[in-house]
Amino acid sequence: MAKVELKNIGKVYEGNVRAVDNANITINDKEFVVFVGPSGCGKSTTLRMIAGLEDITEGELLIDGKLVNDVPPKDRDIAMVFQNYALYPHMTVYDNMAFGLKIRKVPKAEIDKRVREAARILDIEKLLDRRPKQLSGGQRQRVAVGRAIVRNPKVFLFDEPLSNLDAKLRVQMRAEIIELHDRLDATMIYVTHDQIEAMTMGTKIVVMRDGKVQQIGSPLYMYNHPINKFVAGFIGSPPMNFLTVKVLDEGGEIILDEGSFRLKPAADHAALLKPYAGREVSFGIRPEDLVVAEGGSAPGGLIKAKVTVVEPLGAEIQLYATTPTQPMVAKIPPHHLYKSGDEIAFAPVMDKARYFDRETELSILPVKFDEQA
Amino acid sequence: MTKVASSRWRAFRAAAFYVTATLLVAVWLLPLVIGVFTSLKSMDEIMANPVMWKPPKALRFENFGEAWNRAGMGRYIVNTFIVTIPSVAGALAVSSLAAFALAFYRFRLNKAVLVLFVAGMLVPFQMLMIPVFRMSNGLGIDDSFGGLILFHISFQLGFCTFFLRNFMKQIPYSQIEAPRIDGASDFTIYARIIMPLALPSIAALAVLEFTWIWNDLLWSLVLLRSDAIKTVTLGLANMQGEFITTYNLTAAGSILAAIAPVAVFLAFQRYFIEGLTMGADKG
Repeated sequence: MAKVELKNIGKVYEGNVRAVDNANITINDKEFVVFVGPSGCGKSTTLRMIAGLEDITEGELLIDGKLVNDVPPKDRDIAMVFQNYALYPHMTVYDNMAFGLKIRKVPKAEIDKRVREAARILDIEKLLDRRPKQLSGGQRQRVAVGRAIVRNPKVFLFDEPLSNLDAKLRVQMRAEIIELHDRLDATMIYVTHDQIEAMTMGTKIVVMRDGKVQQIGSPLYMYNHPINKFVAGFIGSPPMNFLTVKVLDEGGEIILDEGSFRLKPAADHAALLKPYAGREVSFGIRPEDLVVAEGGSAPGGLIKAKVTVVEPLGAEIQLYATTPTQPMVAKIPPHHLYKSGDEIAFAPVMDKARYFDRETELSILPVKFDEQA
Repeated sequence: MTKVASSRWRAFRAAAFYVTATLLVAVWLLPLVIGVFTSLKSMDEIMANPVMWKPPKALRFENFGEAWNRAGMGRYIVNTFIVTIPSVAGALAVSSLAAFALAFYRFRLNKAVLVLFVAGMLVPFQMLMIPVFRMSNGLGIDDSFGGLILFHISFQLGFCTFFLRNFMKQIPYSQIEAPRIDGASDFTIYARIIMPLALPSIAALAVLEFTWIWNDLLWSLVLLRSDAIKTVTLGLANMQGEFITTYNLTAAGSILAAIAPVAVFLAFQRYFIEGLTMGADKG
């Protein structure tokens, strides 16, 4: 159906403000790609360039192999769901959904069929005669999605569509959009600043920062193989812990020394850390990989820390602890009865640890920039 | 302050407010009352009793008929419609297109063009009178409906464009982008999205413009000569004779002339108030 390719795409605004820098992204047919990053990272601008709402300063944009840099939005065969819905306030829900089809001179009977079908899928059949003002936020969101699906476009674009909804509705709509993607078998590009949305919805994630694509890959790949400290900290909640440790080469054996504790890296990691001997690196460990040490020792060593805050979440505990100098957060099972001030020892899962260069912030362990490339 | 004193003070303030407001209303209405009374008197009564705000002894409704037929008010009113309706429609049509462009297109001289429109609004009539007269002569459109309409449209453009542009600027830009993605041309966006959304401001502007153009005396005076195409304001001015003025017919004619703008105002009043306060608060 549709493949979208961004080749060296860049966007420079008036006054020489660079919003997007040399983006190379391939979105395959039927993929659900999520652009994620903090605000101002260029993800929305990239989406708007794909939509044709922003001019492309440099590079090439191809849809199904056809260069579309200068093709107006209406001829790109895309549909977009806006953050603020952008429904037409003076039209009924039915007319809102039918507008794009009427413009394209689709026969009336066909319009009616498609609008009613979309309304049925989105469960808004009873709202067809209402105006946007009379709808709740979630209902408006559905209409906005409906307006996109009646068009049956090659590519769906979503620009932070859930950010105006309350938390509960957001979770529900998230599931519905995933379901819609499976059902329509369509190519979807979705922009969000919420890494949980990115993780749960995307078949592929593109993490962006300061106009630059940081890494591209499946959610799990990104989670387990972050390319740099930024991606590692951005994906996952609570974020990955970073502890500064010194790499020591003690007669061929690589040791990580924090000052208050010493760890032994996994064998394959140790080989990669060897060139860093005598220097400091960032030791990254996910909160769930900080396992409470029941015994007095572990093969990889123990992290000894003092509990600062305990947040019982029911199914698990988020436990904040600190060494004399560095804080960390752990996810531990709910049966542990720690309180603030207690001493705790973690046996980190050393296989899952990540290491980052202190200067370049890049992963010391080998990682692909684009998982599929 | 004690409770009693404060309630007394409040009562005093209320009384003062009502007295002042009543006085203001009386002053405001006096000319209207005089006009209505005069229009119903005979010339003899007006001459015999110069107290203008005295009610008429007998109501002479036939003054209105006389003003309509003998004094030619009927013809003048029809003429004024012929001038006013296309002028208002033309000014709104052209200015709404200009406002659309100024509100939504990003181009280099956007601000400059807007300032030009506003500046045009500020040029006084006295400076334009003679150039406009000579220009219309030169073009051969003087003393015609067409010429007057054309000048009305052009002189109202500045204000109309400014007014509509400011209103349209409040419409979220996504109302341009969403239809663009939906496949609409820019004219379709203007006609089917932006114009319906700007309707309150269009209606408010239509009322203002209708009243202004209907009541215009100066451009008609400069551009029209033939009695057959004169507008109401000129017609009323005509009725003031050198030696004798038929005050009762002039008053009756004035009232007839005022009916149309008042009716338009009442019909669009809702939009008018909505339009002027639009954007005062978000809602």
